[in-house]
Amino acid sequence: MNDLTLVRKNLFRKKLRAVLLMVSILIAFLIFGVLGAVQNAFSFGVNTAAQERLVTVNRVNFTVPLPYAYWGRIQQVDGVRDVAPASWFGGYYQQPQNFIQAFAVDPASYLAVYPEMVVPADQRAAFIEGRTCALAGRALATQYGWSVGDRIPLMSNIWRQTDGSEAWDLDICGVFDDLEGTYPTNYLIFHYDYFNESLAYGRDSFHWMTLTTVDPARNDEVSQAIDELFANSRAETATSTEAAFNAAFMEQFGNIGLILGLVVSAAFATILMIVGTTMVMAVNERTKEIAVMKTLGFPAPRIFRMVLGESLLLSLLGGLIGLGLAWLAVSGAGAAMAGVMPGIALTTPTMLTALGLMLVFGLVTGLLPAMNAMRVRIALALGKI
Amino acid sequence: MKQIVSVTLLNLRSIPQRWGMSLATVLSIALVVGVLLGFMAMANGFRATMQGAGGDDVAIMLRGGSMAEMNSVLTRDDLRLIEVAPGIAQDADGQPVLSAELYVVVNGVKRSTQTEANIALRGVGEHAPALRPGFTMTAGRMFEPGAGELVVGEGVLREFAGFDLGQSIRLGQNEWRVVGVFSTGGTVFESEIWADIGVIQNLYDRGSSMQIVRARLTAPEALEELSAYAEEEPRLNLEVLSERQYLSRSAGGTTNLIMFLGWPLAIAMAVGALAGAWNAMYASVDARTREIATLRAIGFGGFPAFIGAMAESMLLALAGGVIGAVLTYLAFDGITASTLGGGFTQVVFDFAVTGDSVVQGVILALIVGFLGGFIPALRAARVPLLAVHSD
Repeated sequence: MNDLTLVRKNLFRKKLRAVLLMVSILIAFLIFGVLGAVQNAFSFGVNTAAQERLVTVNRVNFTVPLPYAYWGRIQQVDGVRDVAPASWFGGYYQQPQNFIQAFAVDPASYLAVYPEMVVPADQRAAFIEGRTCALAGRALATQYGWSVGDRIPLMSNIWRQTDGSEAWDLDICGVFDDLEGTYPTNYLIFHYDYFNESLAYGRDSFHWMTLTTVDPARNDEVSQAIDELFANSRAETATSTEAAFNAAFMEQFGNIGLILGLVVSAAFATILMIVGTTMVMAVNERTKEIAVMKTLGFPAPRIFRMVLGESLLLSLLGGLIGLGLAWLAVSGAGAAMAGVMPGIALTTPTMLTALGLMLVFGLVTGLLPAMNAMRVRIALALGKI
Repeated sequence: MKQIVSVTLLNLRSIPQRWGMSLATVLSIALVVGVLLGFMAMANGFRATMQGAGGDDVAIMLRGGSMAEMNSVLTRDDLRLIEVAPGIAQDADGQPVLSAELYVVVNGVKRSTQTEANIALRGVGEHAPALRPGFTMTAGRMFEPGAGELVVGEGVLREFAGFDLGQSIRLGQNEWRVVGVFSTGGTVFESEIWADIGVIQNLYDRGSSMQIVRARLTAPEALEELSAYAEEEPRLNLEVLSERQYLSRSAGGTTNLIMFLGWPLAIAMAVGALAGAWNAMYASVDARTREIATLRAIGFGGFPAFIGAMAESMLLALAGGVIGAVLTYLAFDGITASTLGGGFTQVVFDFAVTGDSVVQGVILALIVGFLGGFIPALRAARVPLLAVHSD
């Protein structure tokens, strides 16, 4: 009988108790895993932002449009490589509840600015050529069952055509994928010219421009140059890096990181108390046994290690099962939510953190009982009879 | 009966002997209730801010299919047709009590994070204050029509920097002066900045267009009359809603999201706490095996033992629930926060720990206590008499 067997037998001497403790640890790590995945989704836009990409919007607010002529003027700015203007379409499909993220863009420049969008060469060419063509993201196309060649009426809850219609007929000419899950595919782009020509109001304007610089080191210089170009004009601009822009947008929902952090702390505080007190009690019950082991010649450090091993084993068993369940839940939810909220995923850093927490948790809950066990005085303990 | 009372008292008096486990149970249940109430306080506060504003006797008219104010566009021709619509109340001069409104989203700097966030800058007409119940100017005066003057809501003042009375603000190309602060008693309108609609239309190139028309109805029932008129008039493409309907629709998404996050989390944590309570009760019954057996030997029944253990469990859970509720109340009630609301602008709201949510939290705690105590209590009831000899 080696030490590990002893540890295991000790842990499961009261099966129900061990299972209950494991369940509570499991729950904490399930919450940790799922909330970690949610947080990942919220920071997805920031993490996937490319270093050399900048975003230019109206200084007043990004919902206030900029004149279309700015496109040409920004292309002239030194240090700018590609500029892609985009308009927010406010789209929906069939019913207002089926909200579709759709942007009216200049196709060639948009694809140049976002190399993460993977499109087969023939579809890419067809999309750039066809005036009524749209390029749909994989998640969106899957959600509505669109395939290449379909013709869909995309309704807008903002825009109207001169003939009073609110629908633009679009041909799905291509479907884009992402490069290794690092880019959202929950939206659709189509030709700005087609959108603009029949617009009843708000013509010749757009909402934001994404641009790439020749070198990330020149980002500050380029953004300053752009904003100075339009200073004191009717529509002043604000240019920032894509990451900063996305972070500022997510920040508007409130401090999500803090809320998730509080919840996870509450969950861990709960199990820390439950498991901690139970372990102390479980070892106290065994005082006599430990005294016997000491009498048989087990050295104190070995007993210390064995009790610590027991709490570690408990923490790892519960934690790993919990993390596994979180992984299952997140994989399921991630696939279902890809269209609405991309980036729900259990990342390696989250899993490593969880593993670290399991070890820390096992050590913390085991330390006090292990010390108690080590300090058991044979005469005193056996005298208890 | 006497037996039940005395065994229960015996149980409760012995709690201090197992203070470690008992305290852990109480605190873990308190945390579960705290998390649940925290989320509910958030959802309730947000909902109260949105819906508290909504009257049944105020109609909102926006372009059909636009869903939200932000997407809606109405023309001056629409407004003329609305002005003569039936069901709209008239003021002393015989003018319809309505306000054509248009808002643009502008950036403000949040005090808490120093980051920029969206604020609604709303252009309103002279009747706008009359259409918001509880509207008062708490400082300064109302803006002059046609002037570059602003009045700011108290919510904006609390959450955003740079909008103090008398200050000049540059929003894009335009200089504005803050001439007044208004309150609407904590409703969503306080999260807005108001200016004259003519000035907004002019400065933001909106021509004579507007987004919505708010109108005072002669009575809540007049809404149907107004809807019927809009339906039958071929030149109008309007969606007519009561303000209450409109605001609940805008608040629904966010409130549901918070609730859908809060409840599953609380239930998951409750399962964890349940394991704790179960454990604590087993420990309690185990520790008293000899005592219970002795009681049985001198003629006490199994039922009092069961009730005694249940009472202990429920009492611990109740204590946890109450501690959790009190702590949440102290920590969260009245905290000001803001998030992105239906109009794509910040809605400033106060966390509200309501009596209703406290009751739900305590019920959750008691369920944990009941389930956690049930099986250990059964065990207590079945302690064999021979256990008198156990150590």
